[in-house]
Amino acid sequence: MGASERVIECEALTRSFPSGMALDALTIDAAPGEVLALLGPNGAGKTTTMRLLNGVLLPDSGTARVLGLDPWRDGEALRRRTGVLTENAGLDERFTALENLQFVGRLRGMSESEARTRGALLEQVDMGHRADVKVQGFSTGQRKRVALARALLHDPELLFLDEPTSGLDPAATRAVVDLIGSLAADHGRTVVLCTHFLGEAGKLANRMAVLFQGRLHAFGTPDDLAAELWSRFEVRLDLGAPASPPLIEALVTLPHVHEATATDRGAIVFTSERDDVPAVVAACVAAGSPVYGVDPRDPNLEDVYFAIEARAAVPA
Amino acid sequence: MSERTRTDWTAVRSIMGRDLLAVRRSKAVLLPMLLVPLLMLVLLPASVGFAANRGGLDPSQFLSFVPNGLAEPIGRYPEHEQVVILVLGYLVALAGDAFAGEKERKTLETLLHLPIRDLDLYIGKLLVGFVPSVAVSWIGFLLFCITANLTAWPTMHRAFMPTLLWAVMILWIAPGVAAVGLGVMVRVSIRVNNTQEAQQLGGAVVLPLVILAVAQTTALLLAGIWPTFLAGCVVWAIAIWLNVRGARSFTRDRMAARL
Ligand SMILES: Nc1ncnc2c1ncn2[C@@H]1O[C@H](COP(=O)(O)OP(=O)(O)O)[C@@H](O)[C@H]1O
Ligand SMILES: [Mg+2]
Repeated sequence: MGASERVIECEALTRSFPSGMALDALTIDAAPGEVLALLGPNGAGKTTTMRLLNGVLLPDSGTARVLGLDPWRDGEALRRRTGVLTENAGLDERFTALENLQFVGRLRGMSESEARTRGALLEQVDMGHRADVKVQGFSTGQRKRVALARALLHDPELLFLDEPTSGLDPAATRAVVDLIGSLAADHGRTVVLCTHFLGEAGKLANRMAVLFQGRLHAFGTPDDLAAELWSRFEVRLDLGAPASPPLIEALVTLPHVHEATATDRGAIVFTSERDDVPAVVAACVAAGSPVYGVDPRDPNLEDVYFAIEARAAVPA
Repeated sequence: MSERTRTDWTAVRSIMGRDLLAVRRSKAVLLPMLLVPLLMLVLLPASVGFAANRGGLDPSQFLSFVPNGLAEPIGRYPEHEQVVILVLGYLVALAGDAFAGEKERKTLETLLHLPIRDLDLYIGKLLVGFVPSVAVSWIGFLLFCITANLTAWPTMHRAFMPTLLWAVMILWIAPGVAAVGLGVMVRVSIRVNNTQEAQQLGGAVVLPLVILAVAQTTALLLAGIWPTFLAGCVVWAIAIWLNVRGARSFTRDRMAARL
């Protein structure tokens, strides 16, 4: 596989269930070494996408190549090179942490001793001390870490992580996110991260695909998404006192100003872009208001997400 | 859905190995699995036989203490091997765990994301039911033969078990009946969400089959060796048809759509 080639390429991927459309014409791609986040609320189609790309589900229509393979024809060959952390860790409670790893190692064609050696991965996820303890009593966070070690057992080229931090408390979440940051993306590995947590995606992902109800609503780097979606640029003006009604009048008649509201100490103005700020300041000065401060706010990831969500909720 | 067409026995063995290890470790599964055959094939026939030998006690008197369902087959000892098939039916019902158990333990999705061929997964689950059932029933039958010979020794003064006809029954027909039962159980197990449901639903189908098989063996024993052998062929033909169809309709996509 050439360096320029994509690890994942899919086009118009579609899958429905008797209950309805789970994924509607998804087109995305991932470059080698990239962390790609599939971001969206429950039922958005993230898990379905992951199952389709790993050849576990068949599509109704659409095409895909993953690691240069057709997931639905060369499923076994593909799955030999991918690792998956499913949403519920999927450990067998009847066995110990190490036995869970060994079982998967054997199924992946490792020898008994090789599988045991690779079991040392448990130390890297900080579960070495519980390697020989039955999984039954493990906390959700411990299970996720063991399952992450299991997903990394054969050093996969492509790693799918389905809601790796769901059900975890803040400390466990931090531990798992740090692990993903350090372990998962090691060795130029490509990672697909399904999550409904924006912070997680923002922290780990190079690019994000935002899904709602089976549809792709935005796809790009966090900055791309902001630029594409956030046509409203927020400027906070410190005028020492609330902006007067005539000033508000004057501001909203400016080109590119969508909205202006008085606040305790001045006004909040929504413009189209950064370049509109000088005109806003000039209008204040012209109206006789002293300008003590101008605070143009770049939209953060959260703003972007909610903008997309709001846009998705409105039928086109 | 696969480029490989040959069975990957390492994968099949790994799947079997894990489930068998789990059975070995679970007293709740292992004890009944061993005790029911032991009770039905060794302890009860032994006590009936010894009681009959002592003269004074009429076996039917003893049997009045035994639960209804068990009394009938036991009462005919040591004439028929039907208990072996009953035991086999019981063991086969345990195979309801095959896929329903994976769903219940939430381990199925992980399994589907592994590089195992659909067919190998099916074969693994089928053999996990088949091998121990047949092994336990054969060992149970062996013990039963020893018990029968020992208890009958005072009157017969020779070892009369097993006869050739019995051997055909146990070595040929019984595994065939098990394979038919497993074909049903595994397919039921795919459709339901937990082991208990699978065992109840599967049992409702398998039990009449077992009873039918038990009823037919009486006629077969009278008919002789060749009809018995041919009957076994018919049973195996049904078993193979059932399981080939089961394996064909078993796909990852279908399993994943039921997650
Ligand atoms: N196996 C299935 N059977 C029926 N409906 C399903 C199945 N899997 C997913 N769905 C439906 O498809 C939609 C997308 O589901 P999913 O991919 O699990 O979303 P997410 O992982 O983003 O929460 C949901 O409406 C869900 O109910
Ligand atoms: Mg999901």
